[in-house]
Amino acid sequence: MMKQPIKRPPRIATWMLKSILPFHAASHGPGDYEEIYRRMARQEGTFKAQCWYGSQVCRSTLPFLVNSIYWRVVMFKNYLKIAVRNIVKHKAYSFINIIGLALGMASCILIFSYVLYELSFDRYHENADRIYRLGLRGRQGEKVISIALSNAPTAPALIEEYPEVENAVRFYSAPKTLVEYGDKRFYDEGILYADKTVFDVFSWPMLKGNPNTALTTAYSVVITAEMAEKYFGDEDPMNKTIRFNDQEDYTVMGVIDHIPLNSHFRFTMLCSFETMYAQNREHMEGWVPFNYATYILLREGQDYKALEDKFPAFIEKHMASVQQALGGALEYLLQPMTQIHLHSTLEYDFSDHSDITYIYLFIAIAVFILLIACINFMNLATARSSKRAQEIGLRKTFGSNRGKLLSQFFGETMLYSLFAFLLAMTIAYFTLPVFSSISGRSLSLHYSEFPWFLPGLILLTVFVGLAAGSYPALLLSSFQPARIFKGRIKTGGWGLRFRNGLVVFQFAISIFLIIGTGTIVDQLHYMKNKRLGFDREHVIVLRIRRSRIQESVQTFKTDLERFHGIASVAVTNHVPVELTSTDACVPDGYPEGQSSILIRSMAADEDLIPTLKLELAAGRNFSEEFTTDEDDAVIINETAVERFGWDDPIGESLHFRVGSGLDERDPKTVIGVVKDFHIQSLHRPIEPLYISNNVHQLAPNYLLVRIKVGSIPSTLAFLKETWQRTDPDRPFDYSFLDDQLDNLYRAEVKLRTIFSYFTGFAIFIACLGLFGLASFTAEQRTKEIGIRKVLGSSIVGILFLLIKEFTKWVVVANIVAWPLAYFALHRWLQHFAYRTDMSLYMFLLSGILALLIALITVGYQAVKAARANPVMSLRYE
Amino acid sequence: MKLISRTEELILLAVLRLQEDAYCVPIFDYLNGVTGKKWTLGTIYGPLYRLEQNGYLESFLGNPSTERGGKSKRFYKVTPKGLQALQEIRRLQDLSWDGLSGLVVDET
Repeated sequence: MMKQPIKRPPRIATWMLKSILPFHAASHGPGDYEEIYRRMARQEGTFKAQCWYGSQVCRSTLPFLVNSIYWRVVMFKNYLKIAVRNIVKHKAYSFINIIGLALGMASCILIFSYVLYELSFDRYHENADRIYRLGLRGRQGEKVISIALSNAPTAPALIEEYPEVENAVRFYSAPKTLVEYGDKRFYDEGILYADKTVFDVFSWPMLKGNPNTALTTAYSVVITAEMAEKYFGDEDPMNKTIRFNDQEDYTVMGVIDHIPLNSHFRFTMLCSFETMYAQNREHMEGWVPFNYATYILLREGQDYKALEDKFPAFIEKHMASVQQALGGALEYLLQPMTQIHLHSTLEYDFSDHSDITYIYLFIAIAVFILLIACINFMNLATARSSKRAQEIGLRKTFGSNRGKLLSQFFGETMLYSLFAFLLAMTIAYFTLPVFSSISGRSLSLHYSEFPWFLPGLILLTVFVGLAAGSYPALLLSSFQPARIFKGRIKTGGWGLRFRNGLVVFQFAISIFLIIGTGTIVDQLHYMKNKRLGFDREHVIVLRIRRSRIQESVQTFKTDLERFHGIASVAVTNHVPVELTSTDACVPDGYPEGQSSILIRSMAADEDLIPTLKLELAAGRNFSEEFTTDEDDAVIINETAVERFGWDDPIGESLHFRVGSGLDERDPKTVIGVVKDFHIQSLHRPIEPLYISNNVHQLAPNYLLVRIKVGSIPSTLAFLKETWQRTDPDRPFDYSFLDDQLDNLYRAEVKLRTIFSYFTGFAIFIACLGLFGLASFTAEQRTKEIGIRKVLGSSIVGILFLLIKEFTKWVVVANIVAWPLAYFALHRWLQHFAYRTDMSLYMFLLSGILALLIALITVGYQAVKAARANPVMSLRYE
Repeated sequence: MKLISRTEELILLAVLRLQEDAYCVPIFDYLNGVTGKKWTLGTIYGPLYRLEQNGYLESFLGNPSTERGGKSKRFYKVTPKGLQALQEIRRLQDLSWDGLSGLVVDET
C-alpha cells in the first residue's frame, strides 16, 4: 500500500485549541493532540481523525470557557470596585471630568438635534424624493439672475410633452390680504393659489373635505386648521364664504392640518388656481410673466438631470420669442425639494431659508466642544497616572498583562462617559426648549426621519469613552513594574509635553471660537449701522394696498402732511426692503441686437428723495412743474449709469421691453441720478435701479412717512385716526422701516446667539480642565513650594512660577488659532457683498480674553498653593 | 496528608506503569483502555498540572519530533511524595474494603 501523506489537522481547530489550552499545557498540548490525530489518520483515515480532533477541541472548550468566564467576572468586579473607589476618592477630579464631558456631550446633542432638524426639511412628504422645483436662470452677458419662479403654461406643457413628469403643481403667492368672515377681519400673509393636483403631489392630510375635488372650481379655498380656528372658532367652516380685500368671495372647500414647521412652504390658505384663470385668462396663458412657483413630481426611478438636459429644447420650442424680447438666454433648472432649505440660492423663495455652510459650521463647533471635553479627560487622567502607578505595578506583578490593563482602563473611561452621557441627556432634555426658542425651531431628541439618532448617541458615548481613555490607557499599561517599585515613575518628559500640547489645542479652539463670535457680532453691527444711502430711522411704512385709501391717496397724503409731527410723506409701489421687480431695458444708442440690460424698477412720487433722505448726484428730482415727468421721467442710480456706460446721463433715454410681444413702451428720459442706496439686504451688491414717477398709474402700495424726532406716539395716534376716518373697515397697518431692515438679518442674529452660547460652553469646559490640571500641579509641587518658601521665596515669586507654566501655552495657542480663524472667517465673510474688515484688534482682544480667563482659572489654585504654610506642606507624608 | 482523587490516582498509576514512556498520549490511551470511556485530553491536563504543583509528579520536556508536528513531549515521573500518596490511598482502600468484598462481589 502506498503511504499517503497525512494532511495536517484543520487549521481552525488548531487555532481554537491553542487559544483555549491552559498555559501549563501550552508547551506540549498541541503536540499530544497532533500525535493522536496522526495515529488515527493512519489507522482509520483522515476524515475520522479530523472528526475526532474537532470533537476533542469542542469537548475541551466548554470547561475552559466556563473557567475563564468565572475569572473574568471576578476581575470585572474588582475593576468596577476600583473604578468606583477612584471616582469617590477623587471627588473633585471626577466631578470635573464628568461635568466637562457631560456639558460637551450635551452641547453636541443639542447641536445635532438642530442639524438634524434642518436636514429634515420637507422630508415628511411621501413623495419627497421625487418632487423638484423648477427654477429659472436668466443670463445676460456676465449677469445672471436665478429665480424660483416660472410662467403659468410651463407646468401643463411639461406634463403633456414629457412622460417622465407624472404631475406638476403651480403656486402663486398672494400679497398680504385682508380676510373677512363675519365680524372677524385680519390681514393674512401666506395665501397661496395652487393647482387642484396639489394634494396628489404633497402630503398635507385633509381633515375635512375631499382632496380630489376641493380646489377644482374657481373661488374655492382650503384653509389650515389654524385659520379655521381663527375665523370660525367652533363653527364648521365647510362651505362657508370668506371675503378677500372686500371684493372676492371664496368658499371653504376643505381644512388641512397644520403645515409642519420643517417645511419651506409657509401658508395659511390655498386658493384654487382656477380662480386666476377666471380673473384673467389671457394673462395666464402668456409665457410671460414669471410669477409662479412650479413643482414637478417625477415618475419613480427617473433622473432629474436627464429631464434638465431636455429643457433647452423646451425653451427653444415655446419661449424663443420671450428670450429674444428679454435679450438674454433663459434656462430652466430643477432643484430637489429636500435641498431647497439648505442649498437654494434662488430669489423669490416662499420663505427665508438656511444655508448648508451654517450646518457645517455647527457640526464643526459640536466636534470642537467634544474634543475639548475629551482632552480634559485625557489630561487629567495622564496627570494622575503617577498615582495609579502602584496599582498597575501590583497588577502586573500578579500576572495581569497589557491587554487586561487596557481593558480595565478603557472600561473605567467608559464608565465615566456613561455617567456623562446620562447627565448629558438630562441636561439636553431640560435645555432643549430654551435652545428651541433661541434657534427658532421646534427641536426634539427624536426624529422619525432619522431613527438612528439615539443609537448614534450611544455609539458616540462609546467612542468618547475610547477616545478620552486612549492615551491614559496606553500610557498606564506600558509602565514596567520594576521601575514603578524602584521609585516613582516620572510623568514628566514626553507625558508633560503631550499634556501641554493638548492644553494648546484646547485653547486654540477656544480662541478660534471667540474670534468667530467677535467677527459675527462685528459683521452684524456693521450691517445694522452701515450707511445704506438713506436714513432708515423715523420712517413709518403704511401699507395701503387694495384699501380705500389707495383710491384717495392724494387727499390722504395731504391730510398727513399737514400734521406737525410729520416731516414728509412719499408714495411708492415698493419699500426698500422688498425685492423689487426687474425690467429689461435698452439704453439709447445701444447697438441693435445687443442683449438688453436687467434693471430693478421702483415707482414713487417726488417726495421719495426727501423722505428717505436720498442724495442726488446729478440732475433734478421729479417735480410737479414738469407735467411730462409722470410719464416720461426716470431717475437712475449710479450703478445703472456705470452699467450703461454714460458719461453724462441726464437727458439720455431708456427703452423698455415688456412681455413676449416685443411691444416697447415709450422711451423714458433720465432726469436725475441718485447716489447708490441699498434697497436689498447687504448680502447682495447694489444693482442698477430706476425710479419712475408713474406710481399713481402703477400701484400706490405704500406710504413712507418721515416723522419728526420726539413725536412718535402722538404721530402714530394721528396716523391711525386719519386712516380710520378714510377707511373705517380696514385695520391700521404700519411698521417701522428700521425694524423691517433688521428682519433681513434674522439668520445672522440667530447665528450670533447660538455661536456665543456654545463658545461660552467651550471656554467653560476648557477652563474646567485647566483648573483640574492646575490644582494637580499645585498639589504635586507642594513640597517644592514649601522648600522654596523656607529658603525665602516670596508669595509673588511662587505665584509667578505656577502661572507662567500655563499662560505660556495659552500664548502659543493664540499663535495656532489666529491663522485658522483668519482663513475660516474670511470665507464666511464672502457671503456678504458688504462686509466688515477683520481687524488685528479683534484677534488681540480674543487672545487677551483667553489669557485672562486662563489666569483667573489657574490663579485660584496658585494663590492657594503659594499661601500654604510650608510647615504643613513639608510635614506631609 | 491530603488525599488524592480517583482520577489523580489513576493518572499516577498510569505514569508508574508507563515508566520511561510516560507522556500525555500513552497516559490518555491507558486511561481509555482501562476505563473503557472516551476521555478528552483536556481533562487530563488539569490533574497532571495539579499533581505536579503538589509535588506528586515531576516533569521534563523531551525532544521535538515530526510525528507531533515539531512539538516536544512532556514526560512525567512519580516523585517519592507521589509514591507515598499512592500507598496512602491504597492503605485507605484496603482498610475500607476489609471484610466487605464478599458482599459486593455477590451482587455483581
